Amino acid sequence: MEVWTYIQLGIAAVFQGPDLFAIAGFGVPVTPIMVLLGFLLGIAVGATPGLAGPMAMAISLPILISIFGFSPDALLPVMGFLIGIMKGATIGGAVPAILFNTPGTPDAYMTTLDGYPMTQAGKARKALKIAHVSSASGDTFSDIVLILCAPFLAVLVESYLDLPEKTALLILSLAFIASVIGNSVGKGLISMGLGLLAVYIGTGEDFYPRLTLGSQTLAQGFPIATAILGVLIIGEVFKSIEDLWHDHRRAQKRPSYTEVGDQHVHRADLRRIAPYIARSAVIGTAIGALPGVGSTLAATLGFTTGSRRHATKSPDATQFGHGAPEGIASTEAANSSVSGANLIPVLSLGIPGNAAAVFLILAADSIGGFNPGPSVFKFTSGSINPELVMAFGLFTIMMLANLFNWTIGGGFMRVVGYMIHIPKHILLPVVLLLTFTAIYVQEARMSAIWFAVGFGVLGYLMRRLGMSPLPFVIAFILGGKLEETARQAFAATGGDAWFLFTNPIAAVFMALAVTVIVFSTRTRKEPAQ
Amino acid sequence: MFTGSTTNRALAIFAIAAALLIAIGWVPLDTDTGIVEKVRRQVTIGDALAPTLASIFIGVGGLLLFFQGASPADGRLRLANLRYLALLIGLLLLSFAIMRWAGPAAVALFGAGESYAALRTTAPWNVIGYFLGGTILIASLIAMIEGRPSFRAFAIGVVASSLLILLYDLPFDDLLLPPNGDV
Repeated sequence: MEVWTYIQLGIAAVFQGPDLFAIAGFGVPVTPIMVLLGFLLGIAVGATPGLAGPMAMAISLPILISIFGFSPDALLPVMGFLIGIMKGATIGGAVPAILFNTPGTPDAYMTTLDGYPMTQAGKARKALKIAHVSSASGDTFSDIVLILCAPFLAVLVESYLDLPEKTALLILSLAFIASVIGNSVGKGLISMGLGLLAVYIGTGEDFYPRLTLGSQTLAQGFPIATAILGVLIIGEVFKSIEDLWHDHRRAQKRPSYTEVGDQHVHRADLRRIAPYIARSAVIGTAIGALPGVGSTLAATLGFTTGSRRHATKSPDATQFGHGAPEGIASTEAANSSVSGANLIPVLSLGIPGNAAAVFLILAADSIGGFNPGPSVFKFTSGSINPELVMAFGLFTIMMLANLFNWTIGGGFMRVVGYMIHIPKHILLPVVLLLTFTAIYVQEARMSAIWFAVGFGVLGYLMRRLGMSPLPFVIAFILGGKLEETARQAFAATGGDAWFLFTNPIAAVFMALAVTVIVFSTRTRKEPAQ
Repeated sequence: MFTGSTTNRALAIFAIAAALLIAIGWVPLDTDTGIVEKVRRQVTIGDALAPTLASIFIGVGGLLLFFQGASPADGRLRLANLRYLALLIGLLLLSFAIMRWAGPAAVALFGAGESYAALRTTAPWNVIGYFLGGTILIASLIAMIEGRPSFRAFAIGVVASSLLILLYDLPFDDLLLPPNGDV
């Protein structure tokens, strides 16, 4: 089967899948509708301070699985909805950042620096339009890079990497994630070690389930949903509730804004911001392709790079941080271009790079029939590889979401400004109950809720101690695969205990893993001295 | 009170101690196979290797953290944080206890001799626990944040729990709200 055939099959899987309803005898396929609904929900969620895309993805997943079931037909509608949320939340985060100086998502913080001064100057709508154009451009660029790179990277991995090299690559990825996320390599390693330890409880190859302390409940292991939702979502809600508990008496004035003068984005404006968008899109895509490096860093780098260029090229214009449209463009293009590129390690290596990617892997894992990783991109001769059709279906979904973004995203962004008025202290307890309910309906046992509370406490403590929970979650997801690959590699090399070092490529990966830890330790130490 | 790098050092010592305890105590005592196993003259990786490596990561992380300098983003854990956590866990335990036992208690009192297990998919018995537990959870958390209990918080709890029942229970026969999956 040729690439073109798979592209056609992928597009057909999206547009000729099961119909949701019919208009005048013509069936309306379910997947595009789910992408649209997810995208609109994502914008609303992103525009609500206190909520985030991963939260909405986590809560939606069990409902989606209940609607669509576990059949192969379920994968594209479910993933379409989740990808829609992921993309929508990125642009939605800019809305409160620009209108009310409150970032809806952490990566929109830099957007406040120029967005809010523009609002204060009466240019709120123009600022939103610039954010939208920049975000949609960065996102589209990033998706094109994903579509071009992921299959080639996967084919390279399958062609050149055997079991020892794949084991070493997993170790390198974990070492990289533990080193680059957060402010401390030590804390990253502790977080990763805890994630590995948690996933190894109650599992193993022996008849006796390991590390169970004699408990039958632990013998089944921790369900993946309790660990991920507990540490990522419940831990964050616990922390946010405490912050609100301390701040509840602080009087909060309801923000408002007025618009003055021309709010259109003219061709001249686009020409001015285009170089900043292009530069930031490249920065964001490069950063997004590295697992674990988030959109906040991309936004910061995009802003800093753009700021330097602007100060040199246009010293007389409004500078970054004082209401420069170029500042919004640099930030929004950078943070939006992370989302597509973040799926490069997911689809080509099976390694999630951020929280949103974690939930996409969780969805694929829950539904079955699609295991993100290099084996997806096997171009079989004669028969059809259904996973490859799904992969091209996902690419189609991403481009469809971009189409929605370009056409209706901007308009919808401008109407969700009211989301900031939803009181956080009412929203968070409801989100907490919703998350516990989502966990229970998936697992159908009370022990899952107790585990989720335990993981929530762990996530809370991690946040209070300045430790990122993401290495924990990614190690939890990859731990089983790491052990399985290592067992197979050990057996395939005839019980060679040094299999990670006797093979040249594996040895290079291991050396890189040590280097990235040592290098990160040194670079973090320098500012502290 | 802990501050900055003191918290880091305490965390580092805890991590190193935990890693030693896991690697020397827990893993050898609670796994049946060792680091490597010899089965029919073939050497394979045992179940103890992976968790031992996990403990080594925790220990190395602790060591690196111990010698790391202070940074503004270090984070702090105060006694007030632990007090909040205890209060929060108390509220969750109370809510989940109500969620778990309110339905069976209602059936025992008014269920005409039926067992809860027999009625766990029958309205209104199947939603009594979730409704009461969910309402208490939401109302008590809002009251905690606002610093006082209020009718408004209770009303929000009632509305939100009811909406979640409508969202999960009414349209899907295969979804079971807590505690109906394992009673």
